Order: sequence, then structure tokens, then C-alpha cells
Amino acid sequence: MTAATDFPSTKATHLTAGAKAALITVFVGALCLAFEGSAPWLVKWPAAWELPATEWVGTFLDWFLNSIKPAMRLFSDLMTYPMDAANYVLGNTPWPILIGLVTALGWYLGGLPMAALGFIGLSFVLASGYWAESMNTLALVAVSVPVALIVGGAIGILANEVPRVKSLVQAVLDVMQTVPTFAYLTPLLLLFGFGPVVGLIASAIYAAPPMARNVMLGLERVESDIKEAAIMSGGTRFQQLFQVEIPAAATQIMVGVNQCLMAALSMVIIAAVIGGFNDIGWEVLLTMRKAQFGEAMMAGLVIVVFAVVIDRMSGTLATERKRYDPRVVWAVLGITALFTAVVWSGLPDPSEITLLNPVAGAMDSGLTAFTQANGPWLDALKNNSMFYVLLPLRIGLDQAVLPFTWGFQWTPGMSYGLFAAGIAITALMAWRGHLTGGLVVLILIGMLETGIANLPWPFVLIGAAALGWVAGGWRLAALSVGLLCTILFSGLWERALLSLYLSGAAVFSCAVAGGLIGLASAVWAPVWKVVRPICDMLQTIPLFVFLIPVLMVFQIGEFSAFLAICAYAIVPMIRYTRHGLVNTPDEMMEAAISSGATEWQIMRDVRAPYAAPTILLGLNQTILYAFAMLVIAALIGTTGLGQSIYLALGQADVGLGISAGAAMAILALIADRMVQGFAEERRKALGL
Amino acid sequence: MKKLSVSLLAMTVASSAYAADMGAVDEPIKLAINEWTGQHVTTHVAGEMLKAAGYNVEYVTAGMMNQFQALADGDIDATLEIWSSNVSDEYAKKVDEGTVVEIGDLGLDAKEGLAYPAHVAELCPGLPAWEALKDCAQVFATAETLPGGRLVDYPADWGTPGADRMTGLELPFKAVPAGSEGALIAELRASTERKSPLLITFWQPHWAMSAYDVQFVELPAGEEACFNDPAWGPNPNAVNDCDFSPSRIFKAGWSGMADKWPAAYEILTNYQLAVEDQQPMMGAIDVDGGQVEEVVATWMAENEGKWRPVVDAATQ
Repeated sequence: MTAATDFPSTKATHLTAGAKAALITVFVGALCLAFEGSAPWLVKWPAAWELPATEWVGTFLDWFLNSIKPAMRLFSDLMTYPMDAANYVLGNTPWPILIGLVTALGWYLGGLPMAALGFIGLSFVLASGYWAESMNTLALVAVSVPVALIVGGAIGILANEVPRVKSLVQAVLDVMQTVPTFAYLTPLLLLFGFGPVVGLIASAIYAAPPMARNVMLGLERVESDIKEAAIMSGGTRFQQLFQVEIPAAATQIMVGVNQCLMAALSMVIIAAVIGGFNDIGWEVLLTMRKAQFGEAMMAGLVIVVFAVVIDRMSGTLATERKRYDPRVVWAVLGITALFTAVVWSGLPDPSEITLLNPVAGAMDSGLTAFTQANGPWLDALKNNSMFYVLLPLRIGLDQAVLPFTWGFQWTPGMSYGLFAAGIAITALMAWRGHLTGGLVVLILIGMLETGIANLPWPFVLIGAAALGWVAGGWRLAALSVGLLCTILFSGLWERALLSLYLSGAAVFSCAVAGGLIGLASAVWAPVWKVVRPICDMLQTIPLFVFLIPVLMVFQIGEFSAFLAICAYAIVPMIRYTRHGLVNTPDEMMEAAISSGATEWQIMRDVRAPYAAPTILLGLNQTILYAFAMLVIAALIGTTGLGQSIYLALGQADVGLGISAGAAMAILALIADRMVQGFAEERRKALGL
Repeated sequence: MKKLSVSLLAMTVASSAYAADMGAVDEPIKLAINEWTGQHVTTHVAGEMLKAAGYNVEYVTAGMMNQFQALADGDIDATLEIWSSNVSDEYAKKVDEGTVVEIGDLGLDAKEGLAYPAHVAELCPGLPAWEALKDCAQVFATAETLPGGRLVDYPADWGTPGADRMTGLELPFKAVPAGSEGALIAELRASTERKSPLLITFWQPHWAMSAYDVQFVELPAGEEACFNDPAWGPNPNAVNDCDFSPSRIFKAGWSGMADKWPAAYEILTNYQLAVEDQQPMMGAIDVDGGQVEEVVATWMAENEGKWRPVVDAATQ
């Protein structure tokens, strides 16, 4: 299991429960190894035992979708009105007016820096030549965000008013965020008909959960004396809620609005896959199809610019109360209107502006020069990573060690030797008092010998159950096994293991590398100055853009997919590690300093343990990000669940798409719950 | 799909004898714009022809795989370049439902096959003859495929024609699905720039054929018998031991189109575009950086004889 590779140490340090769980896992693993030869069904789930679950899902969904289709089509027709209106307004507003408006708004919210950000950002969009497409994108966001805000807000209030549904609502929100969007594009098309409305719905589904979560959190945190005051003044429940509690929670709700905007924007590119709308996402797809890195990067940067401008402005709206002089706003608007009126007829059509084409060309040829100059060592890097790390992880040492790769052939004798060494290490560690740690080492050695894709299913189930039990008790163990069984019976098991292997390898690398970068950023401020903008860009630029250079350098295959996943999933690890390490409470620091601890001792004994829950939360996010990216990495050519989702999208196979999407969400959810279980435990240990 | 084309061909022949009714001229005819340049050229030429006949035309971007639901609902009225080699199953479903109809071949003479950038012939002497691949598999080997060579195949959702050839011809290659067209192009580009070996499943007409000087491997002719009869071809024990079956490129429309715009339906049905016309236009756009509208307008002005008769036959 992924999580098993991630937390040997957490499991090892305490808990006899951990030792018990590890012992059971080792025992089942040994049994599976022993009977591997005589009972092949242990390794490969026989096709005869599979239930045609994807077909059932497909049949049921077809029936269900067709029965609610008329209502949804009506909704779709209704949505075209605001959509067309937003499109008309944004498409026909002269560009100087729009730039002026954003600049003025920037001034009003955040003074000169914010005004400059708005002005420079939109000027870049204009110079890139993608103005018309950008306006289409903005129109989509402008309609989908209010929908997401209303839906998210309603869900949040519902969960607040009816506490019984709270856990159900949490589960629904998790599903909305973890099932890959590509998986439900086909049913959405069927329901809402072709066109931008589908993109709108898809991005609203994805953007609503952050709003709902923040509304719930905000309402929960309203001080009880405020609530009591509202009750005493005799307001109805409705009045209490809308006139007292929601205003009191406004700051937290604004954070939700900000997150909702960002989520909607990041969804734009995925909605473009359907088409129906000549937006910036479609432009990225077209250039991506031609492998034009420079152009794709330009179109991608337009989205980054929007994301940064919207994020900073809505962020200021959420946190700062200060507003700047409105007279400047009127002055800016006046100048804009005057400018537009005087020179409008002489201004060029924004789609004919090509100021940045040379930059795009330069980026493209730069990439060419780079691959040409660095071919040999990049190939060597790729081959070594494949031979010595990724291949053994996937198919195990027994199959990956060949004369072509390692220079010799793996023999059964070597396997015995490896296991004997593993047992020796375990015995040694048990003798030193680290029984759990030793057993985990043994499990890891066994997994490396077999390979994640060849793990026997009883071992995976028992391992997940054991890990779930340690992390969150019997309920989590039962939940993990139950959910994994649905994957097993649906016949997606092999593909799920492949996905697990790829995302597991990526999560592990991100945890190590991201942790180290986060540590460096926490200790040394200049590092963070460089790392932070890179993190911002990696999170907002459409990920498709990165596929081109990765492909050009490392070709189609798992290594490229692995790198693409890492590029995206490493960001939360860096951010949370740094955040956790930097924000140690002052009194703890003072206590440590006054007791004469060195800088290094403070880091190891005070900051790191205190930051552990935050870092675990970062790991949790990294896991979710890695799974999200798995679908996009399938465009490079991977063979796991991501590929199934594309196959389903291509063939309009609703059953396969939803089943594969659900399998992916299941893996992500189990990993998420386990990490949260461990984080909770740490938090309790720290008394937080 | 074959049974359909026969019945539709009959309809085409029957309808082309007289001037058709124009139908709802005020409402725009919506044509699908898919993800690739060749299709943009095809669609814009058709759109200009409809405009010349007096119609309003609207171009709607649509994902190639996802457009058929829109076509069935009448949200899009016609899509003009469907490749039989990678049409989604949904198309067949919609045709069975009767909501989408095929409106004849486009006349583009497509070829698919195993291909390589020209410089690879130096790395594997004996190309383009397919037998050469038996001995050079090592040259194409990579970490994922050792000890076999690596063949970059179509994305999985387009089928696995490359892998089928490798099995049929017993070539020591492992097919790796590309994931997307962009991935195929990136491979071609990287191989050309780095002079590295590459065997790839590819097709023409495509702008990259000339941009990266792509050559096809010569395989035994793809006859019907090869796909059914193992005894046929160089490998007596397997089918698919030959070239790709020729793929058909055709057009499809919303089923209500014939009644709503009879003349436009006739124009689109009879519309033909040859590779010799399409490929230079693609080059002018993708290699020389022209705008599709301008390139098509130039071609329309210079080649009136190729399209005007189709418009006239339907309207006069």
C-alpha cells in the first residue's frame, strides 16, 4: 500500500497495536508467497469472479440519466441566458475599458500595488493575442462561480442547520473533489446537451465544495454569545442566521469565495476538452496537440495571470477592511473613457495583436536547443530511474532484474537471500526494541521483491485493513476493505494497482523532495523567495502545458508521467512543511531558547514535532493532488485507471468512466482517511 | 457502418438531380470545428460553400470524441471529417438511434501506417522494407520495452493497430500507447531534433508528414483476406500480417438537416476535398503560420472550378 511505504516510522515508534497489525500482514504475505505457485488466483483475481459491475453501473446510469434528462435540459436552457449575456457583455466591451475597470478596482481594494497588478496582468493578456478567447473564459467563470457559490453556500447552511446530515455532506463533498472530472464529462454531456453549459456545470461541481466547507467552518466558529444575543433579541431562526451568524462568519466565507474562484478557473481547461466554446482552454488544447510548447505556455500563462489577479483581489476583499480613495477610481475610469472615446476607432482588433509571438517562438526553440544539448545524460537519468527504481517497484526485483537492465539474471536463490536478510534485520530490530519497525522493513522488502503491480490481493486487503485499524480503528479498517472489494469485484483491480504504483512512487518522491525543500525554505528565507512564485505557477497553470517539455525530453512512458505528477503534487508538501515549521508558537520557541538549545536542536526537538500534524496534512493534499494528476498524465500514455477514463470518454461508455473514476476516488479516499487518522493521533499526542 | 453507407449512397444519388429547396435560410447552420488543422480547412471550405449558396454559417468548437451527442440533439448540424479509424462507439449508437446520419465520403485519400522520420533510415539500414525491422529492434529499444524495440502506437482510445501489426508480423517490438496526438507529435519532434530512433503509428494527410519528413514502412498490401485468413501473408499463423486497412474519411449530419435545409444538405453530401488540396492549406497554416480563414479564402478564389459546380447543382 502507498500509505505503508509512507509511514514506516510513525507506525514503528509506538503502539503495540501497530506491531500486531504488522505481524498479521507479514503472516498473510508469507502465506501468499508460499502458495503463489499452487494457487495463481491469489495473485491475479480470476476473471470468472468478476461481476459485470461496469455494465450494471452503465445500465443503471443510462436509465437514471434519461429519466432526469428533461429537467436538466430545461436548466441547461435557462443557463444559456446568463451565459450568453456574460459573453455578450465581455465580448463587446472595448478592451481599454475593461483594463481601466480592473485597474480602478485594484486601486480601490489594495492601492497602488494592486492597481499595478491588474493593469500589467491584463496588458499581458492583451499582448498575448488571446483577448477574445480570454473573455469567453471569463464569461464561463463569471456564470459558474455564482452557481457554485449558491450551491456551496446552501450545502454549508444545510449542514449547519441539520447536524444529522453533516457526515453525509462531508462524504459528498469528498466525492465531488476526488472523482476526476473527466470521468463524469460523458454523463454531463448526456444530461445537459452539448455546449458551454456542460463546462459550466463541471466547474461548478468542482468549485462548490471549498465554498461549502468554509461556510460550515465559519458558521461553526461564530461565538456562542453572539448567537445567544440573537436568540434573546427574539429573532426567528431565519433572521438569526442571515442577519447575525452569516455576517459574523463573513471573513471565513470570503475565504471560501476566493477558493471557489480559483477552483473554477483551474477547471476551465478541462471543460475545454468538450468544446462548444472558443475559450483559452481550447487554445491550450490546440497548441498542445501540435506540441508547440511556446504557444501553449503563452495561453497557459494567460490563465495564470487571471488566477493571480483574481486570487490577490478576492484575497484582499476577504482579509483587509481598508479601502482606498474612491476619487482615484473615478479619475482612472474617466481617463479610460476619454482614451477609449478618442482613439477607439484607431485601435487594433485585440486578436491581431501579436506582440508576444517572438517570446513564444524563443521559448520553443530554447526547448529544442535544450533537448539537443542534453540528450545523452537525460536519457541516462531516465534509464537509471527506470531500471533501478520504477521497474522494480512495479513488477518486482524478480522480474525487473535482467541481463539487459542490471547486467545479470535474478534467480529464486536471490529471492531467498533477500528474504533471509530481511528476517535478520527484523530480528535485529526486534531485539533492539523496534519490533514494529522491523516488521515494516520486512513488508517493504517483500513488496519490492514482488512488485506493487503483482501484489496478491489478499495481502493488499489485509495490509489496508491493518493500516486502517492502526490509523483509525475498526471502522476505518472495515471501510477500506469494503471499498477495495468493490474495485476487486468490478474487474478494475489490475489497473488500480498500476495507478497505485505510479501515484505511490510519485507521492513518496514528493514527500522526500518536497519535505526537504520545505525545510530549506523554512530555515533560509531567500530560498522561499525563489520557491514561492514557482509553487504559485505550478498550481495555477494548466497542467497540459508541462506535458510537452516533459515528453520532448523523456518521451512517452511512465517516467514522463511520474515527473508530470511530481511537478504538480510536490507543491502542497513544500507549502505545508514550511508553514508548519515556521509557525511554531512563540512561547515554545522562547522556552527552547532559554533552556539553551542550539538552532538544530530546536528544529529537531521543538519545531519538527510541533509541525508534524501540518506536514501530515500536506502529505494528505499531496496524495489527493497525485491522484488528480494521474488522469492528466494518461495523456502521456500510462496504463492505469487514468487510461480507462479516457477510453470511456472516447467511447461514451458511461459505466466504465464512472466505475474507473469511482475506483480512483476510492483509492484517494482511503489514503486520505488513513493519513488523517495518523494526523489526528499526532495532534492528540501534542495536546492540540 | 458499412450497411449504412450503402443506403446513404442511394439517397445521395437520388437527391442530386434537381435544384433543392433552400429551407430555413435565416437560421445559421452550425458546423463542428474539431481539434486538428486538416479538419479546420475541410470545415471552412464547406462553410464558405454554404455561404456562397446564401446560408448563414456558424462554426462551433467541439471535441472530436464528444461531438456526436451534440449532433444527435441538433446543437451541431454537421461534422465533416470523421476518420473511420478512430470514430467513437457513440457514433454507431447515434446512427442506430436514427438521430445522426452519414452524408457520404469526403474523398480524402487517407493512409495510415508504421512510420519513421527520414533520418531513422540511417540507423536501421534496409528501411523502408518492413523486414529490416526484424534485425534493428535493438536500435529502437528503451527502458520500458527491453529487450524488444519500442513502437509508439495510437492513443489507447483510437484502437491498437500498431500492436496488431507487431503481433501479426512477429516483430520483436512492444507497442506503447501514446495517450494523445500531442504526445505523438512531441515524439516526432524530439526524434527529429535529436536524431534519435523512432518507430511510430502515423497517418496522412497530416502537417507533420512534411514538417518532420515522415516516411512509411512498406508492408504487404492490406487486403481483406489478410484480416480474416491467417494463411494469407508472410506469417502463415496470424492475421494482421500486412498494412493497415485503408481508412475511410466521411461526413455526418444531424438527422433533421435534410428537412430543414435541403439545399445545404445536398451541398454537404456532395462536397469532396482531395489530399492535394488539403495538405498545402494545412502547411500554409501550421508551418507558415497563416490564418485558416485567409488560407481558405485564397484557395476558394483560385479553385472556383472545384467547388462552384457542387453549389450550383444544389441551388439552380
